[in-house]
Amino acid sequence: MVDERPVVVDLKNVKKKYVIKHNIKKPETFSGKLKLVGKRILHPSQRVEKEDFWALNGITFQVRQGEKVGIIGKNGAGKSTLLKVLSRITEPTDGRIEILGKVSAMLEVGTGFNDELTGRENIYLNGAILGMTRAEIDAKFDDIVAFSEVGKFIDTPVKRYSSGMFVRLAFAVASNLDPDILIVDEVLAVGDTKFQRKCITRMMNIAESGKTILYVSHQMHTIRQLCDRVIVLKAGQVIFDGDVEKGIEIYSESADVNVNTVMNFENHKPRGTQSVVVQTAELVDKDKFSWFYNENLKFKVKVKVNSDCLNPFFKLLVKDLSHRVLGSAESDFLGELKCGEEKEYTFTFHNADRLAPGKYVLGIEIWRKNDGLVTIDDIVSEFFTFEILDGDSEQNGVPELAWSEQRDGYMMMPNLDLEESAVAE
Amino acid sequence: MADREMQRTIIEPNGHNFQYWKDIWRYRELALNFAKRDVTVRYKQTKIGLGWALISPVINMIIMTFIFGNVAGLSSEPGVPYSVMVYAGIIPWTMLSRSVQGGAGTFISNAGIMKKVYFPRILSPIGSAMTNLIDTLISCGVLVILMVIFHFLQGFVPSIRIVLIPLVLIWALILGTFAGLFLSAFNVKWRDLNHALPFLISLGQYASPVAYSVNANFGDKWWLPIYCINPAVGVLETFKWCVINDMKFNTMAFLISIAWTVAVVPLGVHFFRKTERTFVDIV
Repeated sequence: MVDERPVVVDLKNVKKKYVIKHNIKKPETFSGKLKLVGKRILHPSQRVEKEDFWALNGITFQVRQGEKVGIIGKNGAGKSTLLKVLSRITEPTDGRIEILGKVSAMLEVGTGFNDELTGRENIYLNGAILGMTRAEIDAKFDDIVAFSEVGKFIDTPVKRYSSGMFVRLAFAVASNLDPDILIVDEVLAVGDTKFQRKCITRMMNIAESGKTILYVSHQMHTIRQLCDRVIVLKAGQVIFDGDVEKGIEIYSESADVNVNTVMNFENHKPRGTQSVVVQTAELVDKDKFSWFYNENLKFKVKVKVNSDCLNPFFKLLVKDLSHRVLGSAESDFLGELKCGEEKEYTFTFHNADRLAPGKYVLGIEIWRKNDGLVTIDDIVSEFFTFEILDGDSEQNGVPELAWSEQRDGYMMMPNLDLEESAVAE
Repeated sequence: MADREMQRTIIEPNGHNFQYWKDIWRYRELALNFAKRDVTVRYKQTKIGLGWALISPVINMIIMTFIFGNVAGLSSEPGVPYSVMVYAGIIPWTMLSRSVQGGAGTFISNAGIMKKVYFPRILSPIGSAMTNLIDTLISCGVLVILMVIFHFLQGFVPSIRIVLIPLVLIWALILGTFAGLFLSAFNVKWRDLNHALPFLISLGQYASPVAYSVNANFGDKWWLPIYCINPAVGVLETFKWCVINDMKFNTMAFLISIAWTVAVVPLGVHFFRKTERTFVDIV
């Protein structure tokens, strides 16, 4: 089928270069210092070493009218730079972009909000910054106030607003833009969960009204909800362009997923009290990362004790690829640990008949409970990534539908006990 | 949707100016909003509010009249009270210096917005120029009151040329703002200017005929042409000439300042446009 919708965004070999400066290492010796001074006098421009960094390295794609394109990629892949170039905040170094229609970019909510001004004044200011005319804002004013739920505080300076009110008002203004093409950068993650849901609903309404949307997010479930196409960026290049599920899969593979069976966590970001920290982990009896759903996973974990503590335990979190926690399991107590000790434990995660086929991320944490208080000693948010394979369908010989997370969820529950009973007369 | 003419945007390195000027028209209300924000915010939570725009030039005038007119004993232009002459210097000087500062600081003070939203960047200095104009109009009101007072006290009569004042003010605004825009490019890369500018401006106040009369004090000195190279001299002398009946028109200073203006406007636009393309990468 030929897509006859007009191309509204057309990127051709777009590149963006940043120059990174490195300071030249200071010489230790006196003669070295003299040489450096001499060098600086002779070549005053070469005080620092410069290196080119291509944040975008030849991006080419087209977006047709009404498409909702999710742009994903890990940090530093070039997503934000791409949005900045598309929304004309900075110019590309090379290449050409052609855009048909009015563009609005929501790269941040509340840009240009002034603390001293009232909610009303800020609506007009922010609206103008985002490209609305006074007449447009007048027409939408009541909608904006209603959506933001700030009500009677509309004439109060926003510096007296709670942070929730602030972002609600800011989002309300931005989401009332009426462009042909909307560029959105992860701004939906604002406010409380109730408001977030409201934001997503608003975005979906905008999407359904036939507007073209380019949406950057790390939250794969909102990408799934909003987008009908995904572009995966890696190191400033497009590595995938197409189907949402396939793109998310490629993204999760291109992301920093651990692919070794032996993992070293000694340099992970310290979170928690650090009284006990996870050092290394190893998968026992396994050299791959896929299991059939009725298998168990066995781990060997080495911990280091930094201060004496009593009865910590492991907590294993099962998460989906967008790091939403689906379930968790706790281990027995580890007993009394002494400062300076290194200990090794083995534990088994009994998955039998629970997690449905699909890809998961495991996180591990070390917890302690004292007098009803919970202390968290260490958090490793990306412990292992693994896949549960759909094994049964062939064995049974019954042509079954493959498991789909979207349709079937994450848990494969035991079969329902079915009995036939007599129909009451 | 396809039935109406859709706006076409081309983004490429060193993009064309035509689209830019069209955008300025599309975003024209924004400059006004910036000005409104600046004025509103400045006087929020103050009792006197806009009154502060009156108080500071008046106090400045009193101090300068005392120091230059009384302590130093300099003479005024013929037939005009010293304080009126000083005030007629303060108005264009304040406007000039503020517009230089507003123009030069435009990228730095608006970086937060400019990093997140596109709009033709030049609207931001235009907005601060508007703010400046509002302040100046208030100061001009004080000048009128002063002239009325001295009319009854000393029989002072202003020149009919007073109707030319708006033209001189717009000239000062253009000269100052574009000089500022020229400097803004350097301000992005080297913040030194941020430190040097306030200092240079307070120095400039003495190097320009704000609180003294050129004609009455050194109108016959050989170094007068060198003094007049300062672009502010022509603007200030012309402004005073509009107010003071018996003052001689300083043709040399006027022509030099006009030459400065003609040079600084294209330079300002050029450097500003060059900087705005990628300044967010540096700031």
